[in-house]
Amino acid sequence: MLDIPDRISEWLLLLVRSQRSIAYLLIDDELVLSQAGGELEHYGLGDLKHQHSASDQLPFLEGLLPLAETPFLLESVGMPGGSVADVHLFADEDRTWVVLLDVTAEHDQARKMQQKAYDMTLLSQREARLIAKLEAAHKELTLAHRDLAESRDELLRVHNRLRRELHDAERYVLAILPEPVAEPFALEWLFVPSTELGGDSFGYHWVDREHFALYLLDVCGHGVGSALLSITVTNTLRSGALPKTDFRMPEAVLAALNQVFQAEHQNGLYFTIWYGVYHQPTGMLRYASAGHPPPILVSGAREERGEAKSLSAVGCPVGFLPDATYESKECSLAGPARLFLFSDGAYEITGPDGTMLESAEFEEVLTRAVPEGASELKDLLDFARNFSGSKELDDDFSIIKMTI
Amino acid sequence: MLQKKVCLLGGFGVGKTSLVRRYVQSIFSDAYLTTVGVKIEKKMVNVGAAEVALILWDIAGEDDIKGIRTSYLRGAAGYLLVVDVTRSETLEIANSIQARVTSEIGSVPFLFLFNKTDLKEDWEIPEQSLEDLKNAGHVVLRTSAKTGEGVEEAFQLLANRMVL
Repeated sequence: MLDIPDRISEWLLLLVRSQRSIAYLLIDDELVLSQAGGELEHYGLGDLKHQHSASDQLPFLEGLLPLAETPFLLESVGMPGGSVADVHLFADEDRTWVVLLDVTAEHDQARKMQQKAYDMTLLSQREARLIAKLEAAHKELTLAHRDLAESRDELLRVHNRLRRELHDAERYVLAILPEPVAEPFALEWLFVPSTELGGDSFGYHWVDREHFALYLLDVCGHGVGSALLSITVTNTLRSGALPKTDFRMPEAVLAALNQVFQAEHQNGLYFTIWYGVYHQPTGMLRYASAGHPPPILVSGAREERGEAKSLSAVGCPVGFLPDATYESKECSLAGPARLFLFSDGAYEITGPDGTMLESAEFEEVLTRAVPEGASELKDLLDFARNFSGSKELDDDFSIIKMTI
Repeated sequence: MLQKKVCLLGGFGVGKTSLVRRYVQSIFSDAYLTTVGVKIEKKMVNVGAAEVALILWDIAGEDDIKGIRTSYLRGAAGYLLVVDVTRSETLEIANSIQARVTSEIGSVPFLFLFNKTDLKEDWEIPEQSLEDLKNAGHVVLRTSAKTGEGVEEAFQLLANRMVL
């Protein structure tokens, strides 16, 4: 005990009583409430019944009595009245004293501080989790980016290889096209594929000393598949590789081609072709068509406006019908004259406003007088480009000019 | 009348107070209000033919298990170890508390409650951890004080294990 005068001890007791709302309970050895006093109302314990079970009325005593140790303290216990008390328990022989001291103010203060501390801790934990998630996402993105970069590099390598191969194929396609001819009649051509590989191809060669074959074909579609078929057909004609076929007879040539190149065996591809044979001694041209645009024969001197004649013939595209037959027609090529053989890409041109070039307009261009020194085919290409409003045409532009 | 003291234990912010409020008052609030000291509630349950008063001690959560006032545990007939499934560290805390409680008051019935299961997007504790606890012989329930999932069942199951 403190060695202080009684009056100071009494003053201290009064101070504690005034500040701590002291209440007390006395519980006997039968765990029955035998006595209670002090500021019980402050703790919401004003209705306690003496000589009744203590733990039934005071739940916080459940399991504590008899005391295993004394004194025994329960700190900051919420009371029924809303206040908070430190509960002091003292064993007194067979009885137990329970003393309640109000700590509501300290409790509220501690709670405010603890709330801030826990809020901060929860916040920092959330932040740490968020950072971990972000880092994981960043790592995943980095890996994905690396994979994408590798895929892109691989695609680029494949793309470049394909470009090289396409370029080689394009050079091959151009290489099999015939050289211009100057004598005994002039032949020149212009070929501008719409893609790197087109479906157009053409050729001309002497079948024998008197007969000169001339042909232009257009495989449906564009690209490698169309180009492969057009090259195959061109090589077939150039090498005379159609069995039992008289290459001086256009109708027989087209029928033989139709037998060999049925679309169902060519991945669904078919083609149009115009095939003509010029008999030089007589000046007669025999020709047949498999759905191809008719060539235009322009009679008259180059320096003057000519007269156009369409060399049309009936026949369905090669590959459509296995039993298709073709007819041949003949006409005389009396000079001076120019025969223009072309694919549909040379005249089926759409302008920027959606209007189509009309065949009459195309014929008018072909029949114009040609100034000295001008390149008639290049002028035709320029005309087509001007009409379409673009340097890139939608379809292959192929045209052969034979000048008699 | 039979009375049983039940302590709710676990790290701070795992939802002990919310579970008691949901069980006793059938209410829930998203706002987090920390508990200082202990709050005591009473709830009657039936166990078989007997009526039992559960004295629920909602004890302040501590992440430092040395901070748990063992005086609060005196006389407990059982306890609930509450884990916040969105914070994996609260499982470690619950495991530590369980070891400490056993050393203080001996072996009494208890359950692990994996709480806040409604926050499916933020679930952080792997399913395997739950399975590991079950394989170790512990009873684990999923609860949500927000939706009420598993809350009634948890207290009833603990009451059964304490009385029967």
